[in-house]
Order: sequence, then C-alpha cells, then structure tokens
Amino acid sequence: MSEINKKELEHLAELARLELPEKQEKKFVEDLGKILDYFKELQEVNTDKIEPMIGGFELNSISREDVAGQTDDTGKGSDSFPDQKDGFLKVPPVF
Amino acid sequence: MDLKNLTIKNFHKGLLDKEFSAHEITQEFFDYIKKQDKKIDAYLSLNEKMALEQAEQADLRVAKNENVGMLAGAPLAIKDNILIEGLPATAASKILENYIASYDATVIKKLKSAGAVFLGKTNMDEFAMGSSTESSAFKITKNPHDLKRVPGGSSGGSAAAVAADMAVAALGSDTGGSIRQPAAFCGVVGLKPTYGAVSRFGVMAMASSLDQIGPFAKTVEDAAILFKEISGQDKLDSTSADVKYGEEILNPKLENIKKLTVGIPEEYFIDGMDKEVSKAVESAIKDIESLGIKTKKISLPHTKYALSDYYIIMPAEVSANLERFDGIRYGSREKAKDLIELYKKNRSAGFGDEAKRRIILGAFVLSSGYYDAYYAKAQKVRSLIKQDFENAFKQVDVILTPVTPTSAFKIGEKTKDPLSMYLSDIFTIPANLAGVPAISIPISGKRELPVAFQLMGKPWKEVDILGIGQYYQKINPNA
Repeated sequence: MSEINKKELEHLAELARLELPEKQEKKFVEDLGKILDYFKELQEVNTDKIEPMIGGFELNSISREDVAGQTDDTGKGSDSFPDQKDGFLKVPPVF
Repeated sequence: MDLKNLTIKNFHKGLLDKEFSAHEITQEFFDYIKKQDKKIDAYLSLNEKMALEQAEQADLRVAKNENVGMLAGAPLAIKDNILIEGLPATAASKILENYIASYDATVIKKLKSAGAVFLGKTNMDEFAMGSSTESSAFKITKNPHDLKRVPGGSSGGSAAAVAADMAVAALGSDTGGSIRQPAAFCGVVGLKPTYGAVSRFGVMAMASSLDQIGPFAKTVEDAAILFKEISGQDKLDSTSADVKYGEEILNPKLENIKKLTVGIPEEYFIDGMDKEVSKAVESAIKDIESLGIKTKKISLPHTKYALSDYYIIMPAEVSANLERFDGIRYGSREKAKDLIELYKKNRSAGFGDEAKRRIILGAFVLSSGYYDAYYAKAQKVRSLIKQDFENAFKQVDVILTPVTPTSAFKIGEKTKDPLSMYLSDIFTIPANLAGVPAISIPISGKRELPVAFQLMGKPWKEVDILGIGQYYQKINPNA
C-alpha cells in the first residue's frame, strides 16, 4: 500500500493525458491521500479463496454471427467531428 | 390543469377524456419552466420545438381514436448523458459543450414509439460523477424544497425538475445512487432497475459494470409505468437481459404483497445517522407492517466495505471509459503541435476537477504494483457484498433501509472534501455492486426537508419493490 506523492501523481497524469497546475497537484495529493487511507479498511477483509466479481452480473452476453460487411456510410457520427474534408476525418500527424 | 398534481396516470386519463390536449399541457410546462427554472436551474437545454410537435402527434392519435399507451403525450425530462438525436448531450462537461447527439439511445427510441414528449435535457454532475450536481460545468441546480440546498446527484436536474413540477416524470442514470439519492433529497420516487434490465445503449458510460438507466416520478405507479416501457433486451447492449415484466408491476395484488417478507439490515442503522431520518424510516417500517407484511432483522455483514469497494471499482472503469474524450472525435479541438499535446490540452481544459480526480484515482488502482492491493482486492470484496445479498434473499424477499444518512445538505458544504461527499452514497452503493434493483420512496409526514426509504429486491424482482411501494403510497396518499 502506498500513498500518492507528487512524482507519482505527475506520472499518472501523464498516462491519463492530463496537465495539472501546481495548485491542483497539491490539492490532489492531499485528496487522494485521504481517499487511499480510507481504502485501507479493505485489507482487513479475508478474501482467501474468493473469486473476483468481474462485470456487473452473471449474465449470458448477447452475441451475433461474426459476418464481414462493407459500408461507406459514416452516418451522422462524423458530423460532430471537429475537422473533416471530403468525407475524410482529419487528425494531427501522429509522428 | 394543475401541473402540481399531474402524474403520468392522470395525464393519460385527462388526455383520453379530452379535458386537455398534450399540446396545451406541453406549452403550459414550457411557460412554467421559463419562470420557475430561473430559480431551480434544473434544465441545461430546452427542446420546445420538437416537444410541441411530439405533443401534437399524440393529440392527433387521440383525435383519431387510435389506441394510445400510457406515455402518449407525457412530458418528460431527460438527463443530459442520455442521447436524443439532434439535441445537445453535454453530460454537463465542457468537453462536450458543443456536442449534438447523432442518434437516439435505446430508451429514447422506446419512449418515442410510446409517444412521449421530451421537454429538455437536465443538469447533472459532470459525466454523472458526484452526489450533489455541483460538479456540473454549467450551473448549480437548487433543491426545490430549499434553494440553499443541493438536489443531490448526480441526476439532480431530473429529480428537481419532477419535484418542482417542471416535468411529469424523468429519466436518470444510477451508478452508485445517482437516481435514488437525488430522489430522496427532492421528495420524489426514483428507481434503479436490476443490472441488465434496461439497455444502456446511448447513455454515456461512466462505470459499465454498475450503470443503469431508471425513472424519476411523483408516484411509484408512474415509476413502474416508465420502467416497464424502457426495459427489455437490446442487441445493442450486450449486458441487457431477456427478462419480460408483466402487468403485475403496474397492478400489484395485495394478496401477493402480503406474502412477502421484508428484511431490515442492522448495518444500515449506523451512528452518525440523522435522528429525523431514522425516526422517519421507523415510521415507514410500521406502515409496511400495517399492510400485513412481515419484517425481520437481518445482517449484510460486508456493508461497511461497500463505499471503499465502490470508490476503487468505479474510478477504474471511469478512467477507461473517459479515454474516448480526447479532442479527436467530439466537440471543439484546440491547436497543438502533436497528438500527445492535443490530447493533453483538450482533456485538461475539458474535464472538471472531479472527473480528473477519478481518472487519476482509477489509473492508480489499475497501475502495476497497486493492481492487486486495490482493484483485484475490490473485485473480491464485491463478490462478498453480492453474497451478502444472496444469503439475505434466502430469508427475505425485500430489504428495507434508509436511502441517505441525512436529508439534503447545503450547497458548498461538501465540495472541498471529496471523501465527505462520497460518504453520502453509503446506503445506495451496495445495490449497484450487487446488481439488485432498488427504489427510493418519500416518507410521509410533515418535515422541513424530504426523507426517503429504500427497498432493494431480488434480481429481476422489481415487481416486489414496486408492489410494496404502490401499497405504501395507497395508505399514505400524501407521501
């Protein structure tokens, strides 16, 4: 168990693609410290031989035939795309 | 028609009896909202044009003596994280400030074919993260019973809209209490269905193993009507289940209700609980016993750990679900020299503090080195919490508890200390972790602020909690 320090917070923020101003960093270290401290109570629960509960409920997921299809209909989904040209969606260079 | 006494049930009757038209009532709602919502701030956007057209269509069907359902023409409010094609869907976040939904959520499709009218989109905590609606990027919704207090959250706008007679009923979403807690604070009914009972296609995902859409209403009967309409399997949500709800959820029989046993778990009556809340819940228990329903003391031993458990599992899922908001697909895009800078700029400017806090907390509990101690541990404890319910449901059919430890708190009271805010969900979280249905019902009696009790049922047994709830309101018509 560990608490989040400034360095760790900066690393997590980097992974989450967030920039935190200095003042917010200080507040987050404090807040997250308190929250993680509260979580310590879970360690007193004996979970030997207990299976983790994954997902919301034991249900049979719906599945469908995996059939290949082709469409050039981008639907209205692309309307909210901030930058597009001739049906192509523009993004900044990756490299 | 007095909007105050308007329920789905009597709206339907009035419509068929031609006491009024859906168009008249819808117009009346907009006139009233424009006045009243200056004080309450329940709505983020209004949908006047489409709503009046929808209302006219309902009137046309009534005029032609077509067979119309209970929801035809009924004016509803919709939480802003649920998509309605062509309308803004911001989830109260700056990152989606200019986003217009490109399709209908499945619940909206169903309500549209039932002929319902959508008055507008309601305020909420940003991406449904909060318990007071104060983390909205746009406005703070006030509790209609006391404007200095919060309406609860995260579906605070929907709860306040129904409580302030600015909608007949509403939809919200509930991940850890986001329907039931604001319903309790605002004095309306709120139902979180069984996980899988209602399709989540078209609701913005917050924590996918916990989220459910559900109704707000003035009566339990109305909540049942709305729930029946939106439930059902959907091939677009792989977690939705093939369960059909019969007529009995609308017309429960007392002889069946009397056969139920209600469990009262000792762990929900804790020190530090408001005296008025515990007194009120005691009175609700007595009323339910007066119906001839047996009650029994039970134990849900892992209740104490539910809060910690939830605040590990939920942020973990949040951190994954909110990755999609990166400035590429939606909304405006800030200029940047490369892709990483673009992500950072957009996400940093677009997300509020609570969203950022949960994303980072989620990334932490999932990170290598801490995964086992936090996330894996929490998933196991979640199994134990679910087992508590399974064991309890061997002895009883329904579990009765308070919804919140206190009534509505003051605006600003808990915003500085996130942990104190989280603690207001302490009694609502277990139902989400276990996946069981739960309803918040206002307790009758004169009080300054509303107080509610919660009924939790066996999975897929909404019929039991809606049934007891309807009979509770029959013996307490003013609740």
